[in-house]
Amino acid sequence: MTPIRRAMETSDVLITVGSGGVGKTTVAATLALRAAMEGTGSMVCTIDPAKRLANALGLEALGNKEARIPDETFAAAGLLPRAPMHAMMLDIKRSWDDLVERRAPPDKRDKILNNRFYQALSTALAGSQEYIAMEKMWELHEQDRFPLLVVDTPPTAHALDFLDAPNRILDFLDNDAAKWLLTPALAAGKFGLKLFNLGGSYVAKTISRFTGTETLQQLADFMLNITSLTESFRERAHQTRSLLQAPTTSFVLVTGPMPERLDEAVYFHTLLQQNKMQVAAVVVNRVHAPVPDALWDEVARMTGPLQAKLEQTLKENDHLASQDAKGIARLRELCAPTPLVLVPRFELDVHDLKSVWETSRYLWGEAQVAVVDPSR
Amino acid sequence: MDASLSDKRLLIVTGKGGVGKTTISAALALDAARRGRRTLICEVNTRERVSQLLGKPEVGPEITSLEENLWAVNVQPQEALREYALMVLKFESIYSAVFENRVVRYFLRFIPSLQELVLLGKILFHLKEKRPDGSWRFDCIVIDAPATGHAITFLSVPQVIVDTVPPGALSNDASWMRDLLVDRQTTAAVLVSLPEELPVNETLELHQALVSRVKLAPQLVVLNGFIPERFSQQDQEATASPLAKELMRAHAARVGLSLASKETLSRLGLPVVTVPRIFVNDFGRAAIEQIVKELEGGPRP
Repeated sequence: MTPIRRAMETSDVLITVGSGGVGKTTVAATLALRAAMEGTGSMVCTIDPAKRLANALGLEALGNKEARIPDETFAAAGLLPRAPMHAMMLDIKRSWDDLVERRAPPDKRDKILNNRFYQALSTALAGSQEYIAMEKMWELHEQDRFPLLVVDTPPTAHALDFLDAPNRILDFLDNDAAKWLLTPALAAGKFGLKLFNLGGSYVAKTISRFTGTETLQQLADFMLNITSLTESFRERAHQTRSLLQAPTTSFVLVTGPMPERLDEAVYFHTLLQQNKMQVAAVVVNRVHAPVPDALWDEVARMTGPLQAKLEQTLKENDHLASQDAKGIARLRELCAPTPLVLVPRFELDVHDLKSVWETSRYLWGEAQVAVVDPSR
Repeated sequence: MDASLSDKRLLIVTGKGGVGKTTISAALALDAARRGRRTLICEVNTRERVSQLLGKPEVGPEITSLEENLWAVNVQPQEALREYALMVLKFESIYSAVFENRVVRYFLRFIPSLQELVLLGKILFHLKEKRPDGSWRFDCIVIDAPATGHAITFLSVPQVIVDTVPPGALSNDASWMRDLLVDRQTTAAVLVSLPEELPVNETLELHQALVSRVKLAPQLVVLNGFIPERFSQQDQEATASPLAKELMRAHAARVGLSLASKETLSRLGLPVVTVPRIFVNDFGRAAIEQIVKELEGGPRP
């Protein structure tokens, strides 16, 4: 049985990870489509899909809510799934607001939502996208409405951001240092006391030279209100962590075969393993096919200016295929024993359900990519 | 280099992940240095690649001379924060007492996007630096900026701080940084793209976001990995071989995609420079030199 197939049978959560621009979202959509076609109801949760793919899935009208891909969309692509497929596009700001609205005590809710620090936290703060993606994953998993959940992760600049997100957010909210700094404020908070009443503190005075005193006040105010959520953040961080490590959760690492992408993929793979997370497979996307021998022979027999141009084209194609083959060999060695699954470079970008389906045949092991012998 | 860039002092190079931002940045910087402009190329908290591409040893977080008129640095948050703090605080002892305090470390992480601010702040500080004779320390700074989404966040940070943080040293600094970024006389964004559908669409969205959210006007599009036309109609007819015909058809399809991408990108109303795909085994100095030549050609009609 092929690795992706096995992962799909043994997992209820599949998470696609990898650096930006490697086709992660396409692979996520492919996994969800294949599951539905095979009779496993699926849900793909993506962050910022390229527009055409979103359109292909009928996602353009969607907000932050999951929706079922209409039968007509499938029918138009000549597909007849045996189970429903759902998809959603995660809106980061909206998801944060939902979270606060659901979990904050009523008297704190508006204070949090209107605080400028909250607004920065929910939109600009590094890690907040990653956190909310993890949060959503947990929520959807908990609802248990979809036999298979496919989660597409944000393109991280740094691999750790994503694995660390729940802890990082928690760290902001529940940190010994913060408690120490804020203790006087927290104790006296309800009296509306001058919060950062640390006038005598050398540390506070120095910080305020950077930020202005008012910032410290606002921050203290924010901390004061958000602590009402700390407990639920802590609980959630633990829960997501165990979901990420669960035997029913698998990661699919997506990469391209070119050298600069490979190093990142290997690094990511190492991190996942160190964090005790199961990597079902490394999907190498957009692999260039080797030049068939028959074509070399045929062009060699020709003469004249056209022959030179054809030969040049073959050399270029061969160059791309050999580079990919070298990359793949390296990846195979450095990620062993995790299996590699190769997907060819298609002439056009994958942008409709039909081509998503075609891609799935490679993930499923029904079609294979030929690779140049790298020792050649 | 394209004429619209030759008088700019700050070039911000961005685009979708994997389109070749770093190689284009290196070529732009090398070109500026060759024209006698004292040039600094900055990578931002990433795995350093510029030095290697130019065939030089790694430079790290210190500004290092690579060759005549060309310096490089890989800006790192810890070092940048330290430099920034020392500029405000003046004394090393105060820095250690305050910034190495774990309470403060925590606190600094919470100030929205302080990390991005000091990274950008360090770069922009060098843009304002002068030599004893009153001339600029660097005539031109090239930033190999993060990819699309992160670039928007990164470049919006001064504005976010101005909006979030009440008056103080921090918001003053954010304010002059924002002013420099949006100053069209000084700053130009360069959008790098590939002749494929998704990168092209992302370039259009990135352009929109830079204009509307960062108020930073891109002034050049570099279409990297361009496949120029090779086979004529005559060529197609010159052979009966189905395999050769198929090869020419596939090549023509890539050419078609390249031309269509150029066409789509030119709707932005900016000059589009094409850089042909380079087929070499070790992508390094020689490839960068080749790109410099292509960029010199400027936008083709």
